[in-house]
Amino acid sequence: MRKIVVPGEIISDRPLRMEGSIIEDGKTCSTVMGVFDDEKGTLISLEGLWYPRPGEKVIGIIDEAKLNTYTVNLQAPYKGIIISKYTEDIMANGDIVEAIVKDVDKTGMAVLARARRLGGGKVVYIKPSKIPRILGKGNTMINQISDATKSSIEVGMNGLIWVKGGRIDLVLEALVKIQEEAHISGLTERVGSMLKEKTQ
Amino acid sequence: MDKVELMIDGKRIDGRTADQLRPISIVANPIRNAAGSAYIEWGANKIFAAVYGPKEALPKHTSDPEKAVIKCRYTMAPFSSVEEHGKPGMNRRAIEISKVTAEVFENVILLNKFPGSEIDIYIEVMQSDGGTRAAGITCAAVALAASGIPMRDLPYAVSAGKVGDTVILDLNKIEDNYSDADVPVAICPRKKEVSLLQMDGNLTKDEFDTALNMIINSGSYISQLQIDALKKPYEKIEERYL
Amino acid sequence: MYTKIITEEYIRERLKNGLRDDSRSPFTYRNITIKTGNMPNAEGSAEVTLGNTTVIAGVKVDVGTPLKDKPEEGSIITSAELSPMASDKYEPGPPTPEAIEISRVIDRGIRAANVVDTKSLYINEEKVWNAYIDIYAVNYDGNIFDAGTLAAIAALSTSKMPRFEDEKVVRENMGKLKINAISTSCTFAKVAGHILLDPDGNEEAFSNVRLTIANDEKYIRAMQKGLGGSFTPKELDQMIDMTFNKSAELRSSIKHAIGD
Repeated sequence: MRKIVVPGEIISDRPLRMEGSIIEDGKTCSTVMGVFDDEKGTLISLEGLWYPRPGEKVIGIIDEAKLNTYTVNLQAPYKGIIISKYTEDIMANGDIVEAIVKDVDKTGMAVLARARRLGGGKVVYIKPSKIPRILGKGNTMINQISDATKSSIEVGMNGLIWVKGGRIDLVLEALVKIQEEAHISGLTERVGSMLKEKTQ
Repeated sequence: MDKVELMIDGKRIDGRTADQLRPISIVANPIRNAAGSAYIEWGANKIFAAVYGPKEALPKHTSDPEKAVIKCRYTMAPFSSVEEHGKPGMNRRAIEISKVTAEVFENVILLNKFPGSEIDIYIEVMQSDGGTRAAGITCAAVALAASGIPMRDLPYAVSAGKVGDTVILDLNKIEDNYSDADVPVAICPRKKEVSLLQMDGNLTKDEFDTALNMIINSGSYISQLQIDALKKPYEKIEERYL
Repeated sequence: MYTKIITEEYIRERLKNGLRDDSRSPFTYRNITIKTGNMPNAEGSAEVTLGNTTVIAGVKVDVGTPLKDKPEEGSIITSAELSPMASDKYEPGPPTPEAIEISRVIDRGIRAANVVDTKSLYINEEKVWNAYIDIYAVNYDGNIFDAGTLAAIAALSTSKMPRFEDEKVVRENMGKLKINAISTSCTFAKVAGHILLDPDGNEEAFSNVRLTIANDEKYIRAMQKGLGGSFTPKELDQMIDMTFNKSAELRSSIKHAIGD
């Protein structure tokens, strides 16, 4: 059985080790709003925050261009940092960048590599917990959206998504639909038929 | 001050029994810019709570390398009271309430998940009718849960007090002005731990026990309202596909 | 959290086709809602939404002493609270220059149009009524000027009026605050060379010059140019015409909300 749980709710009388929960007195207690599946023993956070992990792609906004570094707003608890000499692009405050998390330093800041300036377009924020659904298995969901709308889309695991060209309005509509309905099955089909209907 | 008759034939001035709450309604996420937010109407109290962060703690000297710091700001709009126009901004009362409110949430947020960061909680009282600090805490707990900041419990708060010999729950403004005691309390419901406790007036130990029991007994109802507010947006979407 | 970040390049690209980010044309308002009386402890109150911008205005009427230059009338006192709950660009603390500018511009529009009958606020030689208008930003997405003016006017137009009896303010069986007129304001921002009415938060972030025009049916009542850029006389003409044109819509929204 899947059910929506809230912070402080005892979700199992046994100790289960899951992200978004703590174990107290041998019981498992949720610390987030999430969907708990007692058969699979999984807790998927509905509102969760993003914590950087090495290898993940992110989208960010240049916060401050300094002499040797750029700090990057990732819409997350911690900022990212780009070492200027490791990127070929010259960036200014407010520029949109795509990069890969190389490392996470002890203060929580994400050290970014392979940074690339994304010219034009717009960025929207989708709850990071919904990003896996936005990508879909083997990127099926995002490819479906990109094909139908003829837009270029870059998805950051931190929740920021960059869109340029094509039917941007339709891309946003699809993203919001996924964000809202991620916890209900049959999502790929629903998004597919919505796109089909609106691009005819 | 003239004594006002606050209890007549076991009923209070607004018709409630001694242990009856005022009507309460809570909405999650009314403020789109915030990481999480909530709006509560508790009797005639109308209060917003908004959460921003976790984000880099600034200025730097306020940050703690081991954990997040909570910065809470409780304020009342100058038009919030039935009486005269209030002064905007923080007075000594607001600063104290902000401090004890921050401490309620320090107790439940998993602060060590975000070293060096700050979490901002803004509580804005748009209309006041007694018990705003308790309603503000109840509202802010929903805003925090809606923001995804991990918490070991979902606190609620309510005040109790005494008029004459009768211990009463959830005092409105007039009761608060003329009561013999006022005890605002916040509870972490899972283990029924007290995380805010203030009191002034006079209470015997028995009366205090009665007050605390009333507060704890009202908890399951208030908690359920908080949980319903958090779940409602998701259930609404699910209904579409039933 | 709701975030939308757009680049200047993107705005320019869209405006080439005459469209804004949210597909509005340059001289269209976002959807407006006005709700009055939602904070009944105040003498008057209103909540206004302008797209995703939400403001709440409250009016309190209190006794004060008359000003030396106006011994026979009361005053209005307007403040804007850019609460940090509304946006991460607002910081807690004393009012910023931005908040003070907003409150003064809104105040001038209301004052110059004689919205409140300040002569009716006279009590005696020593005492007059003061109407305090406080405007709270609840969620920021640009154009607090026009949203704030709408909220202030709607709150004033539905405001009650306390009585002064035996040297005391009595807030029971109150009458109505006397209102002479309705004024509104239209705010424009220039973004990537295009003049846009009712700028949203992103557009404000990219604009280099801004103009607010407050008016009633007949007269321009207050103007304020803001930010570092400039306008040509021709542009000013165009915006004044547009303001008289658009303010009819705004006035009818207010009249509808206050049941007039």
